[in-house]
Amino acid sequence: MEVSKQGTQALTVCSTAFQTLGRAQARALGNPELPIAVIPHPFGSRDRIQVRAIAEQCAADIVRQCVHAQAGASA
Amino acid sequence: MSANSLDRAAHFECADDVEAINRLYRERRWSDGLPIIPPTAERVARMLAAVRIPPQTVIARVAPGFGAATVERIAINAVMAGCEPAYLPVLIAATAAMAESSFNLQAIQATTNPVAVWLIVNGPIAQQLEINAGFNCIGQGAWANATLGRALHLILQNIGGALPGEMDRATHGQPAKYTFCCAENEVNHPWQPLHVERGFSATESTVTVVGAEGTLNMNTHAKSASELLRVIAQTMIHPTSNEYVHGGEPWFIVGTEHAEILKQAGMDKAQVKQALWEQSKMPVRDLSVHEIERARASRTVELGPLSPDTLLPIATTPDDIQLIVAGGAGTHSVYVPCFGNSRAVTRRIET
Repeated sequence: MEVSKQGTQALTVCSTAFQTLGRAQARALGNPELPIAVIPHPFGSRDRIQVRAIAEQCAADIVRQCVHAQAGASA
Repeated sequence: MSANSLDRAAHFECADDVEAINRLYRERRWSDGLPIIPPTAERVARMLAAVRIPPQTVIARVAPGFGAATVERIAINAVMAGCEPAYLPVLIAATAAMAESSFNLQAIQATTNPVAVWLIVNGPIAQQLEINAGFNCIGQGAWANATLGRALHLILQNIGGALPGEMDRATHGQPAKYTFCCAENEVNHPWQPLHVERGFSATESTVTVVGAEGTLNMNTHAKSASELLRVIAQTMIHPTSNEYVHGGEPWFIVGTEHAEILKQAGMDKAQVKQALWEQSKMPVRDLSVHEIERARASRTVELGPLSPDTLLPIATTPDDIQLIVAGGAGTHSVYVPCFGNSRAVTRRIET
C-alpha cells in the first residue's frame, strides 16, 4: 500500500481466507483499486516445495495484474 | 489534531424505543452481540462533560481501518457499553496507548490469533472508579471492569473497523474480546506496582494495554518460593506458544497468597522474573517442524543458529516477563500468554 502511494505499481498477495481483510483494508487506506492476487488457503501449513509450486502457478497472473493496473494508471 | 468532516460521528433518527434501537445496532453490526445503551446526544454530552478535551480532537487512528478515534466517538462507544462519565479519561488514555507502534495493533486486530486487549489500571483512579483488583477481578460483577473492557472492544470494532469475520480474522476469538479489565492490588503488594516499575509515580494514575492471548489459571498449594516458581515455569512451557516462536512478553497475575510466599522468601520482582525466565526454557525440538522454521526466522539474530537441543527462552530478556498482583484469597495465580509480536504500553490517565 505504501509503495503504491509512492507511485510504484504494487500488488498484494493474500490467501482466500484473507481476501475480505485485504479488500477492506485497501478501502480503509484509500486505495480500493489496489490489485490483490489471491492464492488458495491454507498457506501457513504448506512446506517450501508446495509454496514454490503455488508461486509458479501464480506468477503469470501476478505479472498480468500488475501490467494491467499500470496500463490503467497510464491511460 | 481536530477531526475533518468525514471523521465526525453521524446522527441517526430512530424511534424512542430501546428494542428498536438495539435492532438497528444489531442489523448494522455496531454492537458486540449484546444489547447497548442508546448513545443519544444527551447521554454523549454527559459523557463528554467528564473531560476538558474538545470532542473533535483525534486521539488516535485505530487500525486496521484507521478510523479516527475522536473524543466524541470514544464517548459514544463508552455510552453504548454502559460506562459512567468518569471512566472516559481511562478510555482516552487506553486508545492512545493502543496506537503506539510497539503495541502492533494492526496485527492484533487482523490476526487469526484470539488476542484481546487487556486493560490494567493503576494508581488512585482505580479505587476512585471502583475498578476491582480483588476477588474475581477478571470475572464478572464489577461495573467498571465490565464496561471499561467492553467499551474498549467496541472502540476496536466500531472505530478500528475490526468486525469479526471481516477485518477481525480471529479463528475462534475468546471471551475476553467482550471485556477484559482489572486494577492491580496495590495494597497487598510485595513489590512496586506496575506503573511505578514503568517510571510513573505512585500517585499518578495509568492504564496499561496488553495483547492477551488468553488466561490460564494456576492452582498450586506450593509453600516455598522455589517450588512455586518451578511449577509456574513448567506451566509456561507449551510448544504451541507464539511467545517461544517470536520472543514474547508473558504476563502473570500473581495471587496475593503466592505473592506473600515470594515476599517471605525475600525475592524482588527482578529475581522472580529471572527464575521464571531460566526455568521456562524449552528445547527447540519440542516445537513442531514448521514452528522451528518460524522460530529460526524470528530468533536467529537474537539467539544464533537453533539446533534441536537449543534451550529457547520464552522472552528475549527476563525483564520482558511482566507481573502484577491481583485477586482475592486463594492459592491461585493466572498465566496470561501473550500475542508475541506486541509489547504492552502504559499511558498516564489525564483527569
